Amino acid sequence: MSKITGWTGKMLRVNLTTGSIAVEDTMKYKDFIGGAGIGYKVIFDEVPQGTKAFDEANKIVIGVGPFTGTGVPCSGRTNITSLAPTNPYNAITDSHMGGNFGAFLKFAGWDAIIVEGASKTPVWLRIEDDKVSIEDASNLWGKGVIDTTHELNNVMGKEACIASIGQAGENLVHLSSIVNSVNHSAGGHGGVFGSKKLKAIGVRGTQAVHIAEGKGQEWLKLNEYMLKDIIGANNQHVVPSTPQPWAEYHDKGSRWTAQTALFWGAAEPKVETGECPAGDKNKVGLRTQKAIFDLGPVAEARTIKMGGCHSCPIRCQSNLKVPELEKYGLSGYATSTCIGFINPGTVMVNGFSDGEKQGEVALIAKSLGSRLADDYGIWSNYGQLGRDFKYSYQSGKLKEVLPKEEYDSIPWDLVESGDPGFLVEFYRRIALKEGEFSKLGLGPYWLDKEWNLGKEYWTGYGNNVWSKMAFPKHHSNEAGAQVGVLVNVMFNRDANSHTHMNMIGAGLPIEILKEVAGEVWGSPDALDAPNDYTPMNEYKAKFAKWSLDRNFLHDSITLCNWVWPMTVSPSKSRNYRGDTALEAKFFSLATGIETSEKELDLAAERIATMHRAATIKEMETIDMRNEHDIIPEWVFIDSKNPDAKPFTPGTVMLDREDMQLALTMLYKEYGWDEKTGAPTRATLERLNLKDVADELEKLNLLPK
Amino acid sequence: MFEREIEDFLEKLRTRREFLKVSGKGIVGITVTASVLNLLGCSNPDVGSASAFVTAKGILIAERNKCTGCQRCEMVCTVANDGKVHPLISRIKISRNFNYGDEITDNYRNEDGYFGNFLMTPETCKQCKEPKCAESCPADAISLNEKLGAWTVDKDKCVGCGACAAACPWHMPTIDPESKKSTKCILCGACAENCITGALKIIPWEEVAAMFTRKGYRFS
Repeated sequence: MSKITGWTGKMLRVNLTTGSIAVEDTMKYKDFIGGAGIGYKVIFDEVPQGTKAFDEANKIVIGVGPFTGTGVPCSGRTNITSLAPTNPYNAITDSHMGGNFGAFLKFAGWDAIIVEGASKTPVWLRIEDDKVSIEDASNLWGKGVIDTTHELNNVMGKEACIASIGQAGENLVHLSSIVNSVNHSAGGHGGVFGSKKLKAIGVRGTQAVHIAEGKGQEWLKLNEYMLKDIIGANNQHVVPSTPQPWAEYHDKGSRWTAQTALFWGAAEPKVETGECPAGDKNKVGLRTQKAIFDLGPVAEARTIKMGGCHSCPIRCQSNLKVPELEKYGLSGYATSTCIGFINPGTVMVNGFSDGEKQGEVALIAKSLGSRLADDYGIWSNYGQLGRDFKYSYQSGKLKEVLPKEEYDSIPWDLVESGDPGFLVEFYRRIALKEGEFSKLGLGPYWLDKEWNLGKEYWTGYGNNVWSKMAFPKHHSNEAGAQVGVLVNVMFNRDANSHTHMNMIGAGLPIEILKEVAGEVWGSPDALDAPNDYTPMNEYKAKFAKWSLDRNFLHDSITLCNWVWPMTVSPSKSRNYRGDTALEAKFFSLATGIETSEKELDLAAERIATMHRAATIKEMETIDMRNEHDIIPEWVFIDSKNPDAKPFTPGTVMLDREDMQLALTMLYKEYGWDEKTGAPTRATLERLNLKDVADELEKLNLLPK
Repeated sequence: MFEREIEDFLEKLRTRREFLKVSGKGIVGITVTASVLNLLGCSNPDVGSASAFVTAKGILIAERNKCTGCQRCEMVCTVANDGKVHPLISRIKISRNFNYGDEITDNYRNEDGYFGNFLMTPETCKQCKEPKCAESCPADAISLNEKLGAWTVDKDKCVGCGACAAACPWHMPTIDPESKKSTKCILCGACAENCITGALKIIPWEEVAAMFTRKGYRFS
């Protein structure tokens, strides 16, 4: 075998209790690829049962896979794995951020950082290539993300990438993030940093990331093939949103918004996105004019450009000129991650003062909220924070649970009148844990424990809460019927999975999508037409498993699951077929290990099963069907049409028995025990996880 | 005024092209005005946010209003030339301007960079008339490669001392820590060819000639 590349081969282990810093060999985790895969195994092996997220015994693994830093398109991701404070069982989750951090970690020579223990005083971790030190962060504690980053850039130089928590993480707010490069945030684990008194990690790297020896030209060719023939726009939408002379299809929901006479209007001089037909690799970065997609036509004139992560040709983040923010003490520039604009919008429960959902006031409010949330390091919980506030406010719960003095101190007139200034109060109270109001930052499960939100909260379709794991739904029954539900069922936080959604929402006619489904999962019946569902079948189970496995693969390898996998393409000459083997092709070139799609899929299945095993260990039960994989009631109810029946046109409601069959079929696909949904010894051993089987057996957590 | 700008540019261009073709002597630097940029089909009349260089392959234009900071130019540069990804030695530099532009100031939230106004400048080798990198090289390792039309490092001669990097006013050449050799742009064009928004582009001489001719200017 030729020299293994892609990985640096080295991981850092930093113990904040003892101050020790050690170097470990990444390759012992090679079967788990990287990122989340390594994270799940480390947490499973090393964190004792019963540990809570903010306990000193919890660990946090910040890792990347062999793709990040190698220039594979959309590989600028960092994966963060730890126990989650939002989860009812504090079970394992992984959060993810883009930006520059992951790639820079590789350039410094590291695949991952395992942080364990807890410091007594605030510290930050300084990584400059091989030189690693734990530094005093007393002067940074209490500062926001942007100031912290600026101060550390003054220490490490302007090129260093800093991942930091804001005040929310320091204050152990459950819904808190770790943020790098202004707006790239990993949600849910900021408080774990805070519990360890770890304010930030700064990385500066001057080293190379090697790809397979002698494969440079092949790498360039594969890159060209992907950019010309395969990749589309944000969320792998492969048709434009408007009719265009070159395009056979268009779909108004597509994020491929580029068109003639559409501009980055605040660029100097302004830049026309123009038509960006398939095949033109120099226009891929212009296809997604995300500002108008998120904020409406008013955003065009304020768009400076699109931003995004290291190595990504799909620029999905809007960089805007919003001078109105200066009124709130911020600079006149705004940007956001994808959820960042949506959540501040949902917090404004009474709309905006000009009455326009996509008007100027909405744009200012969303920009303001996005900047505040990123600076405080608050996680939106996939938009749930805004929905929880809405429910608590509109149901009268807030008035009931808040002390009168506190309730009266909140400027409700601002929210009532739709004034963006309300967001200043909203985010500050949560990040600084001011009063009872700040409990909104606990997340649904713990908030319900405190405020007793009631059955309506859990069952209301618009509330989106996934019982009983208490996370928000993320492309569920409305996205691929049973497939979307099965994807949501498997996680301990919102699914964060777009494998199925990107394909379903690509914009191609259903006939073509069904043909592709037939080729990838064995039958066109794997996919139903929107709102016209059929009962469960084995091909849907295969589609669901594939969606889950690719998601786990992407979080491990590390790739953006908002774009990958490439199930379809914008190329008419390819009959819109994508290339599901692209991960394996890049993997072979990145690592020098010739690997087939099938082999990589097996590794993905191993990682997915590892996640399941860790969850079982943490929940201390094998009965996942009844204890974990609970499907919320609203999946089986059509609130808009109470008389609707499942599997009739026009409804996305599903059938209870059919969904139990769906679970059984998914368990079968994985080779898990069909009664409980727990992996069997035979399956664990097939996936080279004998040590995991042994540990689970010792804990009496292996199906008989 | 406009006419004179164009004529002046054409005159310099001829000399510059001659220089690139045949020798390292007798060349003046070229200032590209807004008028000329417009004539070249560049949508960017603000010369402060666009830079243009005459190279052997054509005119290289870098427009910072189109640069989204993906840093793919750096990756492609080093994969094409070094078989690895290594931004430090990339012959085009963008990462170092990403966060705060040229330097961090107290007013950083209103100045260049992702922490400011989102503007970042891709820096390219200017293939100088009298290159400081070549002049400072103690091993005479940097010379004009007539085929490429670029000042090029002879790897056999290079001792990796870093004098070129220190002497270049823009610090464009970099010593590869692994090979201990200077890396310097050879105008391979991979960066522009792979730029995802066309922020970097090389307009080939044929097209430059056609544009000038179409507008009634003589171009030889």
